Order: sequence, then structure tokens, then C-alpha cells
Amino acid sequence: MPIDTDTQAMAGQACTADHLPISDLDIENRKDFQTQDGQVVLVGSRSASSGTMAFPQKEFCPETGARDMEQITFGPQGTLYSFSTIHISATRETPYTIGYVDFENGLRVLAHVRSQGTLTCDQPVILQADDSAWWVSPVGDVA
Amino acid sequence: MTRATVIGAAMIPMGKYPKSSYAGLGAPAAMNAILSSGIDPATIDSVVCGHAFGGMLTAQRITKEIGLGAVPMLNVDNACSGGATAIHLAASRIQSGQSDAVLVIGVDKLTQFGGGTLPLVAEDPEVQNGMVMPALYAMRAKRFLHERDETVDILAAVSVKARKHGAQNPFAQFQSEVTAEAVLASRPIADPLTLFQCCPTGDGAAALVIVSEHRRKALGARGMAVAASVLHSGKATTGFRHMLRPEITYHSAADAYEAAGIGADDLDMVELHDAFTIAELVYYEALGLCPEGDSADFLRSGATGYGGQVVVNPSGGLIAKGHPVGASGVAQAVEAFWHLTGQAGVRQIEAAQTAMTHVTGGGIAGMDHGACTIHIFEAVQ
Repeated sequence: MPIDTDTQAMAGQACTADHLPISDLDIENRKDFQTQDGQVVLVGSRSASSGTMAFPQKEFCPETGARDMEQITFGPQGTLYSFSTIHISATRETPYTIGYVDFENGLRVLAHVRSQGTLTCDQPVILQADDSAWWVSPVGDVA
Repeated sequence: MTRATVIGAAMIPMGKYPKSSYAGLGAPAAMNAILSSGIDPATIDSVVCGHAFGGMLTAQRITKEIGLGAVPMLNVDNACSGGATAIHLAASRIQSGQSDAVLVIGVDKLTQFGGGTLPLVAEDPEVQNGMVMPALYAMRAKRFLHERDETVDILAAVSVKARKHGAQNPFAQFQSEVTAEAVLASRPIADPLTLFQCCPTGDGAAALVIVSEHRRKALGARGMAVAASVLHSGKATTGFRHMLRPEITYHSAADAYEAAGIGADDLDMVELHDAFTIAELVYYEALGLCPEGDSADFLRSGATGYGGQVVVNPSGGLIAKGHPVGASGVAQAVEAFWHLTGQAGVRQIEAAQTAMTHVTGGGIAGMDHGACTIHIFEAVQ
């Protein structure tokens, strides 16, 4: 090929790890929750430079684009902000209940809600899990 | 009217990434384009995203990953011209004073369809009757060989050149050379086109930062100015159509040369729409790179390789670099940017000052193509 090959800082020749796409659909290998000291916690990430947090884990800081996300865990206590029980679905068994849960670190997470009784907004909830899935339940249901 | 100049560019290496979403494909390209431009992301005042199969809010799904929001975001489909149409819209916004700094993204993920030919719109009567993109180009090729008294060897020569160029491009889906024998021995797709004469199924994303002259000077940035940005649509006919004279590309090229005030002789490089081998031969003539009827000799002479009159598809083109349809128009501009700013490394075209990029967008009965976009870029120091 042509001319000299002084390739230092040649963007068109430098394909590094930072140029590769993010495998964000590799859900099977993505760890969203774990059990710590008998309690279920969620696994998210936090930017070392901006402190911005995210769930699920991210590659880029969602505020600044910085590529310095570190793993964090949070929970198990949260507050149910709002919720709904869904009665129609082409893909899921119905009915099922989902709601937005606010955690103490400020993250809001869409969660499945499993409850024995009546749910209310602002109800304290706690993370629960089995081998394959996580959800929240009212604190009263679990205790 | 202020000048629009590309001051940053990036892409991901094209390939098959079934485990990446549109955001997973697009965010690294967008962020790296911003980083290469040196611009403060908070001063980007709009985003334009071209794609064909991204679904709702593709721009927003990508840019939310890197902290951009609130500003206007436009999502545009124009089949294979989607990405180039996004550049066209961005340049228009800047030239008209609506915007000062625009992030352009081109993205598509063809592995979501599992393989085979590009899914066309099933409402179309020719599609209902079996039309697929390789068939259209195959008929063009059959007519070319018939009228020009050529053999399939000239088609194979296009792939050999494309793969030779792609072998030097770390962002290409295919980075290995092939022989003419291997091209012709690869499996048949649509006679006379064989597999290695067709652009591959793949995924990709590319991005640009385009700014006004005021902003460029404030940043002290070099780059490439948009000297022409032409978008045409096909005009349907129910009668005869000359398949070797794609009028949409002829007309677009004429408008582009007029807007830039240059001729084909002034081009140092062209990235053209070689979705299939025959396309490159037909477009040599449509873009005025050689006289009508001379494309086969023009290729054989080496005029479109390194050291020739004009380097065509230094990236490897759609055949070697890959063709995630909505990404291609932007990826072509990324390649032009690297050459016009002297960053193309081992495949650098010496002293490149002027580049043309060309994409079409097909798949509609009665038209040569539904859309055609041509850009001419000039180096700015």
C-alpha cells in the first residue's frame, strides 16, 4: 500500500478496545443481583469521576459519557413509589405486578412486586430472590 | 449561509454483534466521535440519527447512554441512504443557522434478521413477486455483460480490489484479500452474482460531529467542510428503464459537482455504493469518473486503486468494510475524514484534499432507487 506508515495517533488505523460495541444484550452473563450476608442486593455501577449511579450495570457514565464505571451493590430496603397489576400480555403469564422502587442511594428501579395483601404507594419494600430472579415484597409480608 | 465542517469522526469495526443493542453499537461510535472533535458535549445542540431498522427513538436510545438529552433529536430512515440523509439534515441545520454543533449517528443491526437478503417492504408488488436486492443488481449485471461484451471476470475484479483495500482497514468486516477464482467459486446468490460479490450481513455504527464555521474557529479545529450535500429521490416509471444508467445517481452527481464548483477530475477519493460488484462499474460512469461505456477498462487500468486517478472505496467499500445499511453513509464520511485529515494510517491517500461519498437506497418497484445521497467534502486546515 501507499506512502509512509508512520501510524502514530492515526485514528483510522487504531481500532482499540474502546472502539468495540458494548455487549449490553448479553443478559445471561449480566449479574443484576446477589446475596450478601443473607440479604438480597442489586448490582449496579457508579462513575468514579461523576458519582452518577445506574442499574443495570453500564459501560458509560449516563451523565458525562466517561468510561469509568465501577461496580456497586445496593438494597435491600426500598420504597414503592407506584405500581400496577397487568392483566393482558402476549408473552407473560398474567396477572403480574410491577412497580417503581426508590432506593436510599437515589436509584429508581422497575421491579416485580410479589405481595400477600394490598399494596400502597410509599410502602417500604425489601428485595427478595431465588436462584434465577429477584423481586420486591412489602416489608410486612417478609417479616 | 455559514459553512458546515466535520471536526470529529469515529466508528466501531463492522461485524456481527448479536449481543449488542442499537445503543451498544452506537454509543462507542458517538462518544469517540465527540472525543476526537474536542468539543464539550454540553454544547452539542442537536442530534440526527440515520437508520433503517432501529425502531422507535433510536437517537435517544443511543445518546442517553452518554449523557446527551433535552436537545432536538431527529430520527431518519431512507434505507441505505439513512445515514447520509442524517448528514444532509445536520449540514442543513448548520448552514441555515438553526444549529451550531450537531452529532450525526448512522447505525443498523442486520444480525437481528438472522441472515439472508435484506428484508424489503412486503407491501411492494415486486417484492411480493420475489424481488430481493441481489436480484435487482444481478439483472443489472446480466445486462452489463450483455451490452459490453464482458465476462464475469470484470465483476470479480471489483471484489478483488475491494478486499485488497479492506485488508488494510482495521474497521472492515472482511480484512483479508481474495482471488478472482475464489470470488467466482463462492456460492451463487443471484446469477451472475456470487457470495463474495455481495456486501455481507453485519452490524455497525458511525458518528460525526459537524459544526458551524464560528464554532470551528473557536475550537481551532481542522476537519472537512461540506462542499456539497445532495439528496434525491427516485421517480417511478411503469415503462422502460435503462439499468446501466441509474438516473438518480447521474442527477445527484451533477448537482453535487455544481454545488461544490468542482469536477470529477478534482476528486482524490470516492466512497461509492458498491453493495454488489456491478454497482461499482455502473457508478464509475454515473459519477463521471470515466466516460460512459468505459468502466470495465477504467477498473482494469488500475485508475481506481492506490496510485490511480481517483481511489475508489479505500475503506474496502460495502463489499469488504460491510454494509449495515443505515450506518453506511456515515461510515463513508468517517473514512473520508480520516483521509482528509491525514489520519488514515497505512491506507492514507497521499495529499488527499477532496472526497465524494455516495449511497443509494433501493427496494421499490418502478424506481432505480428510492433515495440517493451524495456529499463532497474538502479538507480544512
